[in-house]
Amino acid sequence: MFGKFKRLWAKQPLKKSYDAVIIGGGLHGLATAFFLARNYAMTDVAVIEKRYIGYGGAGRNTAIVRANQRTQENLPLYKEGLDFWPILTKELDFNLMFYNCGNLNLAHSEAALKALRLQVTSAQFHGINSQLVDPKECKALIPALDISDRPTYPIFGGMYHPPGGIVRHDAVVWGLAKGAAKLGVHIHQQTEVTGIEVENQKIVSVDTSNGKISTPRVLNAAGGYSAAVSYHMLGIRLPISVLTIQAMVTHPLKPLLNHVVSSGAYHVYANQTLKGEIATGSHMDPWPNYTTQTSAYYIKHQAEALTKLMPCLKGVKFMRSWAGLADMTPDMAPIMDGNYPLEGYYMDCGWGYFGFKSSAVTGKYMAQFMATGECPDILKPFELRRFEHHRLMGETPAVVEYSPNN
Amino acid sequence: MSLTITCPICGKRNGYEFRYGGEDKEKRPEEDMFTSRAWCSYVHMNKSVAGTQKEWWCHKDGCGAWFAIYRDTTTNLEVSDPNEDGSKAKA
Repeated sequence: MFGKFKRLWAKQPLKKSYDAVIIGGGLHGLATAFFLARNYAMTDVAVIEKRYIGYGGAGRNTAIVRANQRTQENLPLYKEGLDFWPILTKELDFNLMFYNCGNLNLAHSEAALKALRLQVTSAQFHGINSQLVDPKECKALIPALDISDRPTYPIFGGMYHPPGGIVRHDAVVWGLAKGAAKLGVHIHQQTEVTGIEVENQKIVSVDTSNGKISTPRVLNAAGGYSAAVSYHMLGIRLPISVLTIQAMVTHPLKPLLNHVVSSGAYHVYANQTLKGEIATGSHMDPWPNYTTQTSAYYIKHQAEALTKLMPCLKGVKFMRSWAGLADMTPDMAPIMDGNYPLEGYYMDCGWGYFGFKSSAVTGKYMAQFMATGECPDILKPFELRRFEHHRLMGETPAVVEYSPNN
Repeated sequence: MSLTITCPICGKRNGYEFRYGGEDKEKRPEEDMFTSRAWCSYVHMNKSVAGTQKEWWCHKDGCGAWFAIYRDTTTNLEVSDPNEDGSKAKA
């Protein structure tokens, strides 16, 4: 296994024209490129990445996958996204290390338990395995939890979602890049998009730091940077606030946490990685910015929350922390649209801190949208115009409940 | 991520004392010309500038004042009004 390295994808020269240009070499961009090539034989596709693939949210999320959203528009997409990981592993012939250990969301008040009841019944209605559990069952699932009445916010119950878990996010990036490149997609790293040219309300070309590309189709899949790309390149404003979200890992421990656990009241979620580290994070820093700085303030908060929830973690050290960008929308649901407001302009953004979970399946549907020009039914509710029609989705996240908008 | 903000009453303070109030969107749309799109544009749409933007803040854990400042979103530092003479840079 040592010495003989074979590159997963080859570096290609930047051509003067492509059938489609995808801005952003993250999971959504790479997945769309892969499915354009595989399902629609559109192989003349370029993925333009300013830094390196997986630099942004794709490599910074905490790798949790789940389908316990709240609304009828979001649940089917996330369910298919969750069911898709084992299928994708086979299709890409690449081990994505899907570990379906289950997610446990804790409620620390009667009101929180009522909210979980709504989420559980919505999930069950859509055929997703999700159930309410009482504190004793929580303790049985995660013995490290303190279910006594001593904590500031005692545990009232939880929502247990067995099919959720963890996927190795880097493996998904590499697997999709390998698969797409094999089918003929060009992946251009260290290539920055510097402009998008429009004629008669139609996309005609993309300027990059390595040359101009003529193309009739552009997908904005720049993740945390998508709102800035949209405004700076096209003057299109989006209902997005870009917030920093921090995460961190402890030093490796023996197995003690067999599920993904999260608590809204303590603002914390945690899981134990296959290496034994406790990976943890929670809410966002509440002011928009494009830095990925971490803060002592936040590490302190995280340590307090984690040790209140699981007192046995007292004395464990954080080993490293990092941050990523979350492009938050006011209704906590993504924006997927195409040929609006410009012909040939597609967007797949506003995924906030939950873009990892359904990235692959979203790529499949965005590829369908771009290849046929027809929006698949499952993506229709996510159009940009829902904001001006005042049809915001009733999606609130499972772990955190604020953005600068509320 | 350190951030300090200068409150017009209390001076330079830790950013965690403040609540972000959104991008400055200039004037609220006139109600007699009101359209769904104009309201959406005013309420929801952001420039999300990578660079200097004018924005609103409230000193929630302090005097409670609402005020606007300029901040560079790529460095997270408060900056002086780019439309004025640069010599007036804030301390």
